[in-house]
Amino acid sequence: MTETDSSPPFIRVTGLRKSFGTQKILQGVDLDICHGETLVLIGPSGEGKSVLLKHIIGLLHPDGGQVELDGVNLSEMSERQLLVARRRMGYLFQNAALFASLTVAENVAFPLREAGVRDPGVLAERVHEALDLVELSAHKDKMPINLSGGMRKRVGIARAIITRPECILYDEPTAGLDPVVTDVIDHMIQRMQKHFRVTSVVITHDMNSVFRIADRVVMLKNGVVSFNGTPEQLRGSPDPEIQNFIAGRSGITA
Amino acid sequence: MNARFGLLGLPGRALLNFLAYLGQLGQLSADLSHSIFRGSLRLRQMAEQLVGIGYGSQAVVVVTGAFTGAVFTAQSYFKFKDFGIETTIGGIVSVSLCRELAPVLAGLMVTGRVGAAMAAEIGTMKVNEEIDALRVMGVHPVDYLVQPRFFAMLLSMPLLIAESIVFGLAASAIVATGVFEIPFAWFWTHVVDHTNHTDLIFGMSKGFVFGILIVIISCHQGLAASNGAVGVGLGTTRAVVFSSLALLIVNFFLTMLLNFFFPLGNAL
Repeated sequence: MTETDSSPPFIRVTGLRKSFGTQKILQGVDLDICHGETLVLIGPSGEGKSVLLKHIIGLLHPDGGQVELDGVNLSEMSERQLLVARRRMGYLFQNAALFASLTVAENVAFPLREAGVRDPGVLAERVHEALDLVELSAHKDKMPINLSGGMRKRVGIARAIITRPECILYDEPTAGLDPVVTDVIDHMIQRMQKHFRVTSVVITHDMNSVFRIADRVVMLKNGVVSFNGTPEQLRGSPDPEIQNFIAGRSGITA
Repeated sequence: MNARFGLLGLPGRALLNFLAYLGQLGQLSADLSHSIFRGSLRLRQMAEQLVGIGYGSQAVVVVTGAFTGAVFTAQSYFKFKDFGIETTIGGIVSVSLCRELAPVLAGLMVTGRVGAAMAAEIGTMKVNEEIDALRVMGVHPVDYLVQPRFFAMLLSMPLLIAESIVFGLAASAIVATGVFEIPFAWFWTHVVDHTNHTDLIFGMSKGFVFGILIVIISCHQGLAASNGAVGVGLGTTRAVVFSSLALLIVNFFLTMLLNFFFPLGNAL
């Protein structure tokens, strides 16, 4: 953690509950995220990691509990109030969610344009800088349909970081990427934290990434936080389920 | 609905669903009003939509107007000839085109072309999480997607209807004079005698209302789409069916209301 214990958390999740139909996804999640830390969310698929991330940015409304950003309860805000709060954050969707009708450069420039930057020179420079970070400058004029899944994800990352938000939420930033590009993205997340003191919340299944970038690791299981600690504490956990998860052991024998 | 309610359960549920649907349309209308009166205009998106909706719909509307005028002229001639009043065709064709035929048929054609496109495009964006992407970037989907379409439609529909009327009358004149050999002077005299600017305002006013109906109903179907390609297809079908039905039903009440302000002048 990068904050002292006395300072209030940047994001505070309290008793968060969410169901879809009869399926209970989150069943009372409590979590504090401090300014400038990189928190990695791990856990089995379908346990609500993306749902938690969508609550943090106010895309989903909780059935119970609340999410506070800098002490302000997001759960009580109207959609138009949330629009303002969300501008402090960047978000990478699991499927990148690029605008199919815009080019790569237009996609990346979109949030900057919406934030009021109109100068074409500034826009072009910032787009180039963001695409450079994800090694995609050469593809700026392509349409998203002509990119591979991994490239689309990297464009999504460039779009999430271009406004230099205080906090970036990444939903599986390295899924589907080769090991070298995964390393590039991991370093980029670290650089964002080091240079701009960006708070990052990262969902990943890549345990190498976890140990490379995490200040703190949180595991979601059965709709609640089942582990909350440093990567070292995770590695040393006596819980066999956690050890099996880290090692990728299913327990099935041939 | 509980099975105990038996036969009453089904219409009861349908009524509740209909009320819920009206509530959703009301919510979208409220968001749109907020966007119009408190938000900023998105001129670039509006210009794109004007091209797509207005410019792009001209061929459909012109052909619809022209052939409606032509066939109405032919049918009127076949009957009017029995009474020896075929030279008055211009009057009835122009009044009908201005007040009913052009607005309703052009409205239905635009519903099929533009309403379907709106529901499909916005629906695809919804299921691909592009709408959520707008929201996380601090952009209200109604501001970005619905408001420009609304203004484009508001401007386009009355003009498309006027265009449809003009081409309908032109086709009527060609059929009346060329096929049925009615002197053009007679044809035109009756057009001028029985039609005035209020008839044109009557038709174009309907265009405003139909435009609003098509935008609200079609965009709502797009924004409510779920369940992938199947959901987008369903939303697109519903957009066309619901918009067409709403247009036909509202048209009757609108005719009664507008006739109060712009009563039909010299009847034939």
